[in-house]
Order: sequence, then C-alpha cells, then structure tokens
Amino acid sequence: MIKTSTQNELIQYVYNELADDAREQLEVALMHDNELADDCSDLLLIQRLLDGATRTPSDRAINNILNYSKSLSLQS
Amino acid sequence: MNTTTQMSDSALVSLYISGNENAFEQLVNRHKNKVFTTIVLIVKDTYTAEDLMQDAFIKAIHTMKSGRYNEEGKFSSWICRIAHNLAIDFFRKEKRSPMITLEDGSNVFNTLAFAADSAESLQIQEDTVARLRELIQTLPQTQREVLMMRHYADMSFQEIADATGVSINTALGRMRYALINLRKKMLNGNIAYDKNIYSE
Repeated sequence: MIKTSTQNELIQYVYNELADDAREQLEVALMHDNELADDCSDLLLIQRLLDGATRTPSDRAINNILNYSKSLSLQS
Repeated sequence: MNTTTQMSDSALVSLYISGNENAFEQLVNRHKNKVFTTIVLIVKDTYTAEDLMQDAFIKAIHTMKSGRYNEEGKFSSWICRIAHNLAIDFFRKEKRSPMITLEDGSNVFNTLAFAADSAESLQIQEDTVARLRELIQTLPQTQREVLMMRHYADMSFQEIADATGVSINTALGRMRYALINLRKKMLNGNIAYDKNIYSE
C-alpha cells in the first residue's frame, strides 16, 4: 500500500514540481518499489494521452485577435 | 529571423505594451492551443470556444495596454484563467450545465504529438484521444477543474490551491483521483491502452 503523501509526491514528480531532494528520494524509491514504479508509469501514460487531447483553433480566429490588437495600436 | 521567438513571456509582454505587435503575435501563437483547449473542454463546441478564446485574448489586450497587467504571475496561467472564467460564465449565462452532452470526435485534430504510424494505429490514437476528451467531461467538477488548470492552463499545484481555496494536498489529491479515474474509465471502456502505441 503506497502512502498518500508518496502518491501526492508522485503527482508532483510527473509534473516536475518536486523539490530536488524529494525528487532524488522518490527516484531511489522508484527503483526498489515495483508498485510505485507501475503507478508512475500509468501517470506518465495518462499525461501523454492528455497532451494528445490538445486542440488547435482556426487561423481565422487567431487572425481576428491579431487584427484587433493592431487596430487598437493604430487608434492610439 | 524573428528575434522574439526565444524571448520569455514576460519580455514579450513588456515589448507588446511598448507597441511591438510581433511580440503579441508570438505570445498568441505560443499559448493559443492551451487557451483553446481549456475552453473547448468546457463548452464542447468549437465555434463557441473560438469566440470565447477571442474574448479572452481581447480582455488580455485591454489589460496589458491599459497598464493593469500584473507581472507577478505567469502569462500562461493568467490567460488560461481568463479563458476558464469566460467559459464558466458562458454556461452560467446560458443556464446550462457544463456536464451535458459529450463531444464525439473532432475534425480539428492537428496537434497530436504521436509518432506517425500505420493508418490503423493512427485511427486507434484518434479514437483514444476523442474518447479521452469525453471522459474528461465525466469527471467530478473539482477533479476536472484541477486537471484542466494543471495540464492545460499550466498552473502550478500551489497556484491551483490558491485559486480554488483549498490546500495544496487537496489539489494534489484531486489531480491524483482525476488521473486514476481517467485510467479506470479507459480500462473499463476497453479503450486502447497499449503502452507501445504511445511510446516514443
């Protein structure tokens, strides 16, 4: 059973928010604890899937924003 | 060569406030996908999401041009927070729940970072990500909020805790359950979960 504090640290670890000393300790634990390593692997996989769910707006919408900004600059 | 491409967001904001439109274009291109994804995952309609994205950037333009931009936070977190609030406001005004009809598939699907492979595996990847978008909508609101703020709005867990009025441990716990729930839902739905498909 993995402690909640360790699971929270795992979340911080996969999002690069863990302090250096805590990260080093967790990486040591990952080498010796298969359950923890599996959890880490699953989190990284979901994280990668979430990256793939990113959407891109149309060029038209982006041009509207840029043109609006330029029109304000011309007015001032 | 465009000299703004290597600049920090903070430097680009300063340049933009002083009148450099190229700096703003760089900021928009750098953050448009995260802003748009943050909105579209809430409103689930591409056209509405594009309108709200434009509103978010216009609000940002006015804030920066009027000298009210706060240099303390990250630009990416700030603009995504504006986008998130506008999307939530949209639902309040429409008196609709953001938990309704699920989006099924998408024709705007051009940012996949997966390695190109066979047509079949590409189709599996597209189906998986489309289903993942649906599953995100089925998460409890508190979990979905943290997931979107951290993953798409690029806010730190401490920033999320401050923004939502909870402790950092609560924010971390919600994120953990969000990711665990997504994994369970994907496994229960027999969705392709082959680690080899997504390996580099």
